[in-house]
Amino acid sequence: MIVEFWGHEFKVNIFLGCIGGFLIAVVSSMFGFGGGPFMVPLMTIGLGLPMYVVVGSSLLAIFFNTLMGSMRHFQFGNFDLIFFLVMFPAAILGGFIGPQIAKRISPLMVKRIAAAGLAILALNLLGVY
Amino acid sequence: MKHLRFVVAAASVVFILFAPDAFAEKSARRPESPKAPVSRSNAKSAGYAGTMTISADKTTLNNGGVITVTGVAPAGKPVYLEVWSNDTVRASRFDADVDKGTGKRPYRFYLTTEMPAYYKILVPEQMKEKIEASKKDGKKWSLSRVLRETGADAACDVPASIKIDRYQATLMGSIVGSRGTLLDPMDPKEQKTRCLQLVKARFRSLEKVVGADIKINPDGAFRAEIPIRSGLAPGQYKIAAAVDNEVRSNILTFENKISFPLVYLPNAGTSVNVFGPFFLTLAIVIFGVLIGAGGGFIMNPLFVSIWPLPHTIVAGTVMPTVLFSQASGIYNYSKIKFINWKLGTTIGLSMVAGGFIGPKMTELITLDQFKFVFGWVLLVLAGLMVWQTTPGYLEKNKKEQAILKEFKKKAESSAAK
Repeated sequence: MIVEFWGHEFKVNIFLGCIGGFLIAVVSSMFGFGGGPFMVPLMTIGLGLPMYVVVGSSLLAIFFNTLMGSMRHFQFGNFDLIFFLVMFPAAILGGFIGPQIAKRISPLMVKRIAAAGLAILALNLLGVY
Repeated sequence: MKHLRFVVAAASVVFILFAPDAFAEKSARRPESPKAPVSRSNAKSAGYAGTMTISADKTTLNNGGVITVTGVAPAGKPVYLEVWSNDTVRASRFDADVDKGTGKRPYRFYLTTEMPAYYKILVPEQMKEKIEASKKDGKKWSLSRVLRETGADAACDVPASIKIDRYQATLMGSIVGSRGTLLDPMDPKEQKTRCLQLVKARFRSLEKVVGADIKINPDGAFRAEIPIRSGLAPGQYKIAAAVDNEVRSNILTFENKISFPLVYLPNAGTSVNVFGPFFLTLAIVIFGVLIGAGGGFIMNPLFVSIWPLPHTIVAGTVMPTVLFSQASGIYNYSKIKFINWKLGTTIGLSMVAGGFIGPKMTELITLDQFKFVFGWVLLVLAGLMVWQTTPGYLEKNKKEQAILKEFKKKAESSAAK
C-alpha cells in the first residue's frame, strides 16, 4: 500500500501491519492495556515509517481496538460502572498533569527508572520473588 | 474525511452514555429482588427444621467486624455454620484440566451470576488440622475435599441452589468470540461440585472460604466468633447452622454497612476506599505520560495485586477509561492533518478483529495465568524502554523528533490559515 503523508510517499507492507496489529489487539484487549508501546515499534521498525507519520495514525488504529475491546468487555459483563467512575476523573486529571511534568524532567532518566520498575513488577508477577 | 474525525471523537462519548444499556447482557444483570440464593427445601429436613436455634450478638456490622453466634446442638455432634451475603456477583471457570475418567480435556465453561459476594463455611475448631493439611496442597486445594473431610458437605446448602450455566467451548467458537453451546442443566450432585469449584475460582484462597471457628461444649452448646473481613459487600448477610442433613437451624440475618469513602463495586463484589484507586490511577497515568506507555500496563497488574478485584473486571473497566483521551488525541492530530486515515483505518480494522476476540479470552484464563502473561508483557516493555535509552536509538530519535517538530509546526501554521 502506498501511504501519502505531507507530500511524501511511503511504500508500506500492509500485510505485516495488519497481522501485527491484529496480534497486538488480541493481547491488549485481552489484558486491558492500550497497544501504543508495541504499535509504534511495529510501524516504525516493521513498516519502516518515520515517527511523524506514526504518531497520529497509530493512535487512530489503537482507538479502533480500544473501542471494540471496551464494547466486548461490556458485553461479557466485565465492566464495573462505579469502578469506572472512580478511575475516569483520575485518568483525565493525569492526562493534564502528565505533560506539564514531562516538560520539566529528563525523559531519559524517567525511561531508565521505568524500565527498572517494570522489570521488578514483571518479576513479581512471574512469582520470581 | 472531515466528518470522520467528529465521528471518531463522538464515538467514545456515545459509547459511554449509551452502551451500558444497549449491550448489557441479561445474565450479567443483578437479580432485581434481593433473593437469597438458598432454599432450605431439603425434604428430609423439613420436619426437623427448627430443632436447633441460633442467635447472634449483633444485627449490624460496620465494614466488617466480629459477629458472635451461639446456639445449642444435639450433644456430641459437630456443628457447621454457613454464612453468605444476599448480594451476588458473577463467577466463571474454564475447565480445561484433563478428566481423570476419560483422559480428555473437557473445555467447558461454567458461569453463574448468583455467586454470593461473600461465602464462608465454619467448622468445629477441632478440624483445624484438616484445613491446615489442605493448605499444603497450595493452589491445588479442593473445596469439595475439604468439605468431605470435615463433614461439612452435608451442611452447605447455598452451592446446591445456585444456577450455573455451562457451555461447551470450542477453539473456533472462542476465536470468533462465542462462549459455545449452552449445555443441559446438571444433576444436583454435579451442580454442587461445579459450584464449589466456582467458589474456589471466585474467592481463591482457602482461608476466605473455610474457617475452624466453632467451639462446641460437651453438652452441645456452641459458640462461634465469625470474623467478617473489611471491604466486603454491604447489605444483608445470612447465617445458618446445621449438624447434618437433618438437623438444621433457623436463618439469622445481619447487615453490613459501609460509608464513604468506602464504595462498593457491584460487579467486582468488593468495597474499596475510593481514594485508593483514584490516586493510584492518577499517579500511574502521569507516569504513563512520562514514559510514553499507557497506564493500563502498570495499572492492571497493580489493581489485581492490591485489591481482591477479578482480572476480568479490571481489564474490562480500565480499557474504556482511555477511550476519551485517545479520542481527544485523535481530534487534536486531525486538526493539524497529522493522521493518515488510510493507514490508520486499515490497520485499525485488523485491530477491531483482534479487539473482538481478546475480551472473550480474558474469561478463559485464571488470575495466575493473567499475572504470568502480564509478567512477560512487562518484561518485553521494559526491554523496549531500555532499547529506547541506548545511544544509537537516541541519535536516530533526535533526528526524528526534529523532523516531527518541523512537520508539526508546518501543519499547525497551515491549519491556522
